[in-house]
Amino acid sequence: MDSSTASILVEVFFETIGYWYIIIPTILLGLIVGGIPGFSAANTIIILMPLTLALDLQSGLVFMISLYCAARMGAGIPAILVNIPGTAGAAATPLDGYPMAKQGKGQQALAISFVASCIGGLLTTIIALATMPILARVGFYMHSVEMIVVMLFGISLIASIAAQDMVKGLIAGFLGLMIGSIGTDVVYATPRGTFGILELYDGVPLIPALVGLFAVSEAFVIIEKRVIVTHEGEPKAPNWSDTFEGVNIALKRWVHIVWTSIIGLVIGVIPGAGASIASFVAYQQSRSFSETPELYGTGHPEGLIAPEAANNGVTSGTLVPLLVLGIPGGATAAIMLVVMQFHGVSFGPSLFEDQPKVGYGMFMAMAVSYVIMFLTILPLSRYMSRVTTIPTIYLAPMIIAFTLVGGFVPREYMFDMYLALGFGVLGYIARRTGYHVAAILIGVILGPLLEKYFLWSLKKSDGDIMVLFSSTLGNILWVAFAMSIILPIVLGMRRKRKLEVPAE
Amino acid sequence: MSMKQTINRRTLLGTGAAAAALTLATPGLVRANTFPDRNFSVYIPTAEGGGADRNFRAFSSVWKTRLGVDFEPGFYPGASGRVGYEIYMGKAEPDCYNLLFGNVGPEVLNWALQPPTFGIDDYIYFGQVDKDPCCLFVGAESPLQTMDDIFAASKTRKLNVGTSRMAHPASIGLLALGDKLGVDFNLIPLQGGKGTVAGAVTGEVDFSVLTSGSVIAAGDSVKTLLVFGNNIAGEALDNAPSINDAYGMDLPEMLSTRAFGIHQKAIDDFPDRFEVLTRTFKESHEDPALMEAYIATKGQPEYLVYAGVEELAVEKQAMLDLGAEYKALLTGA
Repeated sequence: MDSSTASILVEVFFETIGYWYIIIPTILLGLIVGGIPGFSAANTIIILMPLTLALDLQSGLVFMISLYCAARMGAGIPAILVNIPGTAGAAATPLDGYPMAKQGKGQQALAISFVASCIGGLLTTIIALATMPILARVGFYMHSVEMIVVMLFGISLIASIAAQDMVKGLIAGFLGLMIGSIGTDVVYATPRGTFGILELYDGVPLIPALVGLFAVSEAFVIIEKRVIVTHEGEPKAPNWSDTFEGVNIALKRWVHIVWTSIIGLVIGVIPGAGASIASFVAYQQSRSFSETPELYGTGHPEGLIAPEAANNGVTSGTLVPLLVLGIPGGATAAIMLVVMQFHGVSFGPSLFEDQPKVGYGMFMAMAVSYVIMFLTILPLSRYMSRVTTIPTIYLAPMIIAFTLVGGFVPREYMFDMYLALGFGVLGYIARRTGYHVAAILIGVILGPLLEKYFLWSLKKSDGDIMVLFSSTLGNILWVAFAMSIILPIVLGMRRKRKLEVPAE
Repeated sequence: MSMKQTINRRTLLGTGAAAAALTLATPGLVRANTFPDRNFSVYIPTAEGGGADRNFRAFSSVWKTRLGVDFEPGFYPGASGRVGYEIYMGKAEPDCYNLLFGNVGPEVLNWALQPPTFGIDDYIYFGQVDKDPCCLFVGAESPLQTMDDIFAASKTRKLNVGTSRMAHPASIGLLALGDKLGVDFNLIPLQGGKGTVAGAVTGEVDFSVLTSGSVIAAGDSVKTLLVFGNNIAGEALDNAPSINDAYGMDLPEMLSTRAFGIHQKAIDDFPDRFEVLTRTFKESHEDPALMEAYIATKGQPEYLVYAGVEELAVEKQAMLDLGAEYKALLTGA
């Protein structure tokens, strides 16, 4: 970094701090819209586009970035407290977050999530800033063949879940993959399994599936109880010690935060990949190399840290291809592109030469937002966690109403509300019969992405299946994938043997 | 003789009822003579934040000043826009208050490949906001930097070409080029403009074809080599030649045309209202404020060109004919 860049960074840092009056209200707005199922930073920026366009360039930039970061973090709050992942990026958060809330550790879980998100987001922002030219190259190497392996990392989670009850786990996973294959194929747009319903031509919409499987089914389940928390985890009065304990738990696992947030960053810089892929891959990796994989899914802090750190790593990652190549890495970045172009900003290789303060300013706004977010949101966890103690006769109808609206919002189709209800019933039956809804959901979310990359690869090779092993990076990833499957088994066997030795 | 006027209960009730009826009926009577008297609903079969969104906002900001009412957009991108056409516009009242804002080329081509549930003459496009020709482009770092490079490489292997979707005028432009030169290209649908640009830039495909407006927006990351129409944008498209000039072809322009549409039934039932729409649309196109709004939303000024019912009907038919001609290649049948 030369001295002129350093002086620009210092200047931009202080300028960004000066926008605290925009950042703080935007963080609150972002937490709210992130927490409402179906809403996201992308559709909020669209709704508020007239305001964004009316602001000056720097203010608009700070507003959009703060909203983006806060909405990402906000999506984790209902995922933890009431099992409602409002966006696909938060789909892996409730796997361990919600069991913690049910055990009366909602406040701890929120603190862990906030720390993992803020540190993960801040760290990856700094890494992205420092290594932007290198990171921008990732997209040049990660093509469809390589992405197939990345998808398999995430999908192999089904097998982990199936380990608890192999037959039921695999049935649930395959059901999810089958549901995920509904819609038109990505090459010739031939409809499959749509029963002539036009609303399904684009595939099963994610948000209705997500809120239906997790939240609506959960509402059906909790209505049978008095409050969300179990009898063993009776609700306690809000106190600071739980928050500090959560912070302590997260900080002790700083290596875990660093590792999983970097997974998010790398996946985030690949155009078209997103937070949902990153959070599942991070969760799978975290579980594979954990010394206590059997605790995942029962309220294990590492199972919560991994997806939250990763999806915030994606946030900074998506800015890299946007700024360096002019290619938005995701939906929010695409809308940012539109707004910034309106202000006369040309993205791409020339941005850091022509308008360096804009380029660096976006990362600096992200870093400052994470710092301010950490300071403002952490105290709120003690109050937010009280949600789990609201009597279910009030909470369950609210969850159903919110989630149905959330199912409607992304596409504004009434059909999607019915679909969310349908998935709710499916999820309820699955829970009551011992099938894991997460296995279904992984299939629904990652199945279509795997199929897309698989069909692209086959189309590019004129149907030659050996294309899957045609790239060096792809082959390295295949080896890594095989190791991530085999190593945990070997390590598990070794641990078991060690435990057996003293007994003898 | 004096007449003493008295108001009894019956008179009072009768007068009151008549007055109330008149009061309630008046707005309707007045309404019958003024069009429009309420906002328009506009069904846009693409996603928010894209080119159609920008163009719609630019044009409606000027048009609404002439009509005195506003335009309320709804975005329905499902099933390549068919959800917008078939479910939303299809169910909307054909009363000239419900309009479409579509992209004629890709959307009509889609009907040719997968027949819709409605009759293709049920909707009429009546006002073109802008049109841009499709083009062929490479990533800035691609080893293929000229058309000669592309043809040399195509002799050694089948080149992979990114396109937004198979049913797209740009895909037809490429297939026509391949036909003319005896080269077999492999079209890879990269699901939208963003993906198509990214595919060319990152090397997922050898090069891509897309509407030129999106290519211009990609800036320095890409380089345009050929235009499937006339290159009226000049330097913005790297002064790339027209396909017809470069290869002695007679291909009709492969266009992305954003235009307003309406139910045919609305035109039949309310010809006076339709006249107001077409007249004010044309006036808006001639208003200098439109060019300002268009440029402000990053539109390429040369692409802001008016066309009416007749011209758009010709383009619609041309797309249907091209779709029929290339159906086997574009559907894998």
